[in-house]
Amino acid sequence: MIDRRTLFGATAATTSFLGSLFGSRKSNAAASAAKPASSFAEADLQPRGQIGRLERLPTQHLEGQHDFITGFRVFANRDMTRAARLRISEIMLEKGKTPIDNLPIEEILEDIGDDPVIANSARLWLSAQQVNWRTLYEEFHGKEDAYLAEMEAADNAGPGTLELNPDMDIPDYTAHEIHIQPGGYVGDPFAGHIYHYGTNNFYTGRNDQDEMHISYANAVPLPEDGTVRRVLDQGCSTGQLTCALAERFPDADVWGIDVGGPMVRYAHMRAVDIGIEAHFAQRLAEDSKFPDNHFDIVTNNIMFHEVSVEAAKDIIQESFRVLRPGGVFYPMDFYTGNHAPTAVYSKYRQWWDSRWNCEPWRLDYAKWDFDGFNQAMRDAGFDVNPEGPPSRRGSRHNTMGTKPA
Amino acid sequence: MTKEYGYTSKSGRKTYTHDFFKSDTDQAVFLGNPLMDDMMTTLVALGAEVWASRRRVRIIELLMEKKGAVTKDMVEAYVPTDEEEAELRAERDAFIKIAYGHMAREMEDRTALNSDAFEGPRGSRSAARGDEPASSDM
Repeated sequence: MIDRRTLFGATAATTSFLGSLFGSRKSNAAASAAKPASSFAEADLQPRGQIGRLERLPTQHLEGQHDFITGFRVFANRDMTRAARLRISEIMLEKGKTPIDNLPIEEILEDIGDDPVIANSARLWLSAQQVNWRTLYEEFHGKEDAYLAEMEAADNAGPGTLELNPDMDIPDYTAHEIHIQPGGYVGDPFAGHIYHYGTNNFYTGRNDQDEMHISYANAVPLPEDGTVRRVLDQGCSTGQLTCALAERFPDADVWGIDVGGPMVRYAHMRAVDIGIEAHFAQRLAEDSKFPDNHFDIVTNNIMFHEVSVEAAKDIIQESFRVLRPGGVFYPMDFYTGNHAPTAVYSKYRQWWDSRWNCEPWRLDYAKWDFDGFNQAMRDAGFDVNPEGPPSRRGSRHNTMGTKPA
Repeated sequence: MTKEYGYTSKSGRKTYTHDFFKSDTDQAVFLGNPLMDDMMTTLVALGAEVWASRRRVRIIELLMEKKGAVTKDMVEAYVPTDEEEAELRAERDAFIKIAYGHMAREMEDRTALNSDAFEGPRGSRSAARGDEPASSDM
């Protein structure tokens, strides 16, 4: 670990930087043991150390801001949402309808009009989202060179590997500022840093140690013959599920692929940092470049609602191609275990989430729904079990596909 | 929606970025006047600043109790114990309730309606209809 104050303080100078290169190291014993001597070990920025597998945010102030955002998200999701639900119920009754009617979004928007309670519920949620990203953006861009140097040093470090394809054609559908994250997944060099910490407060502290991703990895069903030599995580973002899969299947080659170069770069750096052997590549889920019949398991987490339906169909077909006979396809997303909600408030929330939280494909995904998704899996050739094991607490099922032997 | 260029680093280091479509959420007007929307975001940002400062003061106080003297390095490095973290969390939530709670309470106070009468207790009918909890919206 390099002392951040040495790197960033007012008196920071190259000589002091070099002098501190071999200073104190992080206390994570497991990670230290696994990490090979490399240029990354020297450039690793951990100004406030690490708790378990979570590298602490670089300043106490930023940690405090994100502690606030964590609490504010709970308030917005609970108290403000309840107020908005109440108001929508009131409006629907006034209009002779009920809150559980399945209405077109255009009708819902007309009924709601400019009601201030409902509007403010969405406003506050989005404001918190904007503050969330902005604070992280300022931190990482404020010390841009040091953070870029840290990633550079990790690019060729192990365990695991990183493949970047800067000349790859990036489909337009992926190049949006999903969740209004600045630059989205492809346009900002710190997309991974920002996404990781921004989602940590979204998960309200319940995923600081990747607990949720570990539970998702543990939910993935095995092929019938039990053989797992190769596993693919599509749309892996910061690699938390990929790492959890690598831990569950220590003897397998585990790959994470994502369209975002900065995403897989961060994912690889983090895997190196915590000593997990996983392979990351900047590739498209619908054009993965892997050989036919290569993987025993293909999975993904909250990816499908961020891609167009056309791309989703291509991804499902590609998953079929790269799976070996008997291999298992296990997608985990909102409606891979049940149907999209149709109640008035839920539809309204989906709408503003899509329109203003920049989830451009989410409404199409909801319309496609559980049945459309399963049909696309059948069309690709899978034997589909819509009542596969659940991936989420509270869900009874999650669909799964098996490539016929 | 406009397309913006991928990021070029000031130092010339590779960024592996690509052109992207900029969202127009900065232009969203929910409250009838863009200044009102901006002020709401400012209020949230100020809340984060106030709480970060209050939290820092509490950490300084905790360190003073434990160590007698406090340095900036000690404050930066400090990790609250589980018990202290729970106290801080309660204090934070109380602060949020005081600063913003009225915006939610106002609705509850002025209507006799109870959403449970229409949609069932949280997680019952909505879950049966495949309604994801609100918190699943990233």
